[in-house]
Amino acid sequence: MSEKKNNQVSRRQFLNYTLTGVGGFMGAAMIAPMVGMAVDPLLKADSSGDFIYVMDVDEITEEPQRKSFSIEQQDGWYESEAERTAWIFRDENGDILALSPICTHLGCVVDWETGNQDNEFFCPCHNGRYDSKGVNIPGTPPTEPLHAYEYRVEDGRLYLGRANPRGGA
Amino acid sequence: MKWIYQDVQNYTHAKEYIDTAIMPLIPYSFEEDDDMRKLAFQNEVMVIFMTQIEKQLKGRVFLLPVYNYLKQNTLDMESNRLQETIDHIQKQPFEHVFLFTFDKKWRKYGTSLNAELIWLPAPKEGDLNQVDKQQLVQSQIGDIEELIKEQWNEES
Repeated sequence: MSEKKNNQVSRRQFLNYTLTGVGGFMGAAMIAPMVGMAVDPLLKADSSGDFIYVMDVDEITEEPQRKSFSIEQQDGWYESEAERTAWIFRDENGDILALSPICTHLGCVVDWETGNQDNEFFCPCHNGRYDSKGVNIPGTPPTEPLHAYEYRVEDGRLYLGRANPRGGA
Repeated sequence: MKWIYQDVQNYTHAKEYIDTAIMPLIPYSFEEDDDMRKLAFQNEVMVIFMTQIEKQLKGRVFLLPVYNYLKQNTLDMESNRLQETIDHIQKQPFEHVFLFTFDKKWRKYGTSLNAELIWLPAPKEGDLNQVDKQQLVQSQIGDIEELIKEQWNEES
């Protein structure tokens, strides 16, 4: 008799189990979205798929033109609109190049033909020089070419993505 | 370079290239409402100046933390504390130290401080989102940049 009783779940136990179970679900339902929100920015920190319209393709010349555009930037916890600049031109083969103006040495902003040389990009901080295609000139501080933006052309419109290193020199 | 972990890390590896420190001198006061508005606005503009300069010349300029002080303080006292701060920084060494301020009272101290004190005329209060205000701020930033570059070129 008493053995049989041992296998049975008492009313108190049954209530205990069910309440813990239900309570657990309710707790999880409340906490999960909060955790999700907190962690979310970290999970999708990289929005590389975004391409932004910058200019029409037929406006692109062989002379580099400076164009600014803004992107949604997600930087860990912060979300903000960031301004980007690109030097856009065609090289001698007619290929489009969109270069980041950030010096690959220590991050100053380079400019077109502001140094003593024509047809070069110039960094005012330590006299860094890049040739007309943004390749660093040996003997000056930069260690690699200016980064190039990924681009896409749709309906005669130029869209830029993010800037990537090009390697080389 | 800014006073943040990543930049300081870069700085410690490239000290020989980053030879210029800039520091804004920004007064504050909670005494009069008009004054508060004016000083808060000037603070905003100065911070924009400094962050833009730092962005343009990141590889050679270190933007130091703001030098804040109570507007009511006498500058005789303040200039001592400031000079101590400058002495401390120059030990790095920073070859060029620029101080920027809208506070007219500092002009008298320009020669006694061991740094380049640049006094800028304070812009009139207004909406910084307006196009004309932005243009004004932008052109002043260009001027400040030129000034720093001129200083660099003098040495070479």
